[in-house]
Amino acid sequence: MRAELHLARRYLIGLGRRTHVATVSAISLLSLALGVLALVVTLSLLDGFQSTIKRGILAQSAHARIEPARGRVLHDPAELVSILHRELPDVGIVEIVQGTCLVRGIGDAVPAHVEGRSDMEAPAIDSVLAARIGAGAGERINVISPRRRLTPMGPVPVHAVVRVNRVAPRQPGVDGGVLLLPLAQAQRLLWGHKVVEALELRTFSDPWRLAGTVRSVLAGHADQLRIKGVRELHHSLLLALSLERIMIFFAVGLMLVIAALNLLCNVAMVAAEKRTDLAVLAGLGLGPRALRRLFVALGLGIGVLGAALGAAGGTLLAVVLDRTKALPLPRGIFIVDAVPFRVDPLMVLTVTGLALALSAVASWLPARLVARRDPAEGLRYE
Amino acid sequence: MSEGAPIVVLEGVSKGYGEGANRVEVLRDLDLEVHRGELLAVVGPSGVGKSTLLHLMGLLDRPDAGRIILGDRDVSTLDQEARARARNREIGFVFQYHYLLDELNAVDNVALPLRIAGRRTEAARGRARELLERVGLADRGHHFPDQLSGGEQQRVAVARALAMEPPLLLADEPTGNLDRNNAEKLFSLVGELHLLEGLTSVIVTHNEEMAGRCDRVFRLAPVGDESRDV
Repeated sequence: MRAELHLARRYLIGLGRRTHVATVSAISLLSLALGVLALVVTLSLLDGFQSTIKRGILAQSAHARIEPARGRVLHDPAELVSILHRELPDVGIVEIVQGTCLVRGIGDAVPAHVEGRSDMEAPAIDSVLAARIGAGAGERINVISPRRRLTPMGPVPVHAVVRVNRVAPRQPGVDGGVLLLPLAQAQRLLWGHKVVEALELRTFSDPWRLAGTVRSVLAGHADQLRIKGVRELHHSLLLALSLERIMIFFAVGLMLVIAALNLLCNVAMVAAEKRTDLAVLAGLGLGPRALRRLFVALGLGIGVLGAALGAAGGTLLAVVLDRTKALPLPRGIFIVDAVPFRVDPLMVLTVTGLALALSAVASWLPARLVARRDPAEGLRYE
Repeated sequence: MSEGAPIVVLEGVSKGYGEGANRVEVLRDLDLEVHRGELLAVVGPSGVGKSTLLHLMGLLDRPDAGRIILGDRDVSTLDQEARARARNREIGFVFQYHYLLDELNAVDNVALPLRIAGRRTEAARGRARELLERVGLADRGHHFPDQLSGGEQQRVAVARALAMEPPLLLADEPTGNLDRNNAEKLFSLVGELHLLEGLTSVIVTHNEEMAGRCDRVFRLAPVGDESRDV
């Protein structure tokens, strides 16, 4: 082992003989470990929530949606369905019409998003609309369409009375207040004849890539259609999740910066305290490059130990909290019953790498000053 | 002691500290030759620049003017890395205070110059144990500096200075912190090793009696007066 690395190791592990240097080194190590631990646990928590939300999106909403590029209705939906069934036999296809209607239960009428779907057999409302109109499963509600029909009394709004079959949970990422109807019923209510406004597609293989596959299959109709994937359909929500992740990373990452500054102070303090030792080492022939390596090794030694401790502790804590469901959430308000944690090995590696990089920078600055110091100075001022 | 070829030559060396009105000139236009095999004592009043002279000869400091020749090359213009290599291979230092590293035991302190030179750990420790035996501390190798007496610490420092078998030994008041008995023992040890190892030694001392036992005494005078051999 090189002399400077041997010395760095001795400074690090032999510090029991120099208590106050040992104490500040231990504080630096601890603050770095805490910074890494906090970042790993926080990002695991965020990952846990975000992956739960993303799983919810994929489980409950479309993976791709085909809409007309111009106008409101698809011109030949049957042909599109036929092509898709032929080319992508594993993909489920749902025909859609949609609009806004007034819905009335026992109280006042409220506006609601009405969606007619070919996979619906009986009407359903989501929990938000159920709460607004005070209706539940088995009850009848009035749906008033913006479409009018001409009667001897003049134009009157088309309306229908539907019996709510079930109350569905609110879809993640969708504003509440939705009435779901069988396609034919919704077509009658909203259009008066058979039209399809959109096709929704779902797959079991790779939901995130479905839109791309559909675009290549329907390349011949590209100018007539607008095809959206999961990212476009939930753009705002996914963007918010990404932003949240970035902002939390930077906010909690500041702890690491503070820990690195603490490490810088510690290494600078050791350099000041060991001023005479360093002059003697220079007298014995340790060159400026080796002196620099000595202090970088010292700082990195603290960095490696702190980052390893923090990463191991953070990972362990997140896994234990997730497995034991130690932080329960009230049922019915959240979509999960306990705070979820998801440890991403790449995230742990990134955080550890960041801690090491910051440690290297924090050690490099005082090491550079030490290497520039005139060896006789340390002896002259003793 | 017969005079050999010069191992260190100082030609017109000047050195001062500080800037402007605060500048203090310590050495001015100093010439000095140290011959191979010589045991030279440097004496003079406090603050006259004895340690500065030793630091310049030991390549720990650079002269403001003049040349320093070590062996057959001008070392005044060497870069820091080359000066560090020269200090490691050609010069052994003993300071007034032992300056042993607290984190290392006696063996590792003595082995340090060898480790800096890139010797393997066990080989370096083996040589360190031999040297500790030579200075009478064979059984103290695993002790740390704070577990040694002042005289023992200084003997470990002497062993460390000789680890690389340097041709030149520079000692800056090596007995200055020791009582009379320990000072005598240390001076005898340095004299004995000087002969046995075939060293060229320069010793800065305030002790006129010890200086008188050296081959030559160089009296360093304040700037303006003439420094000369006594």
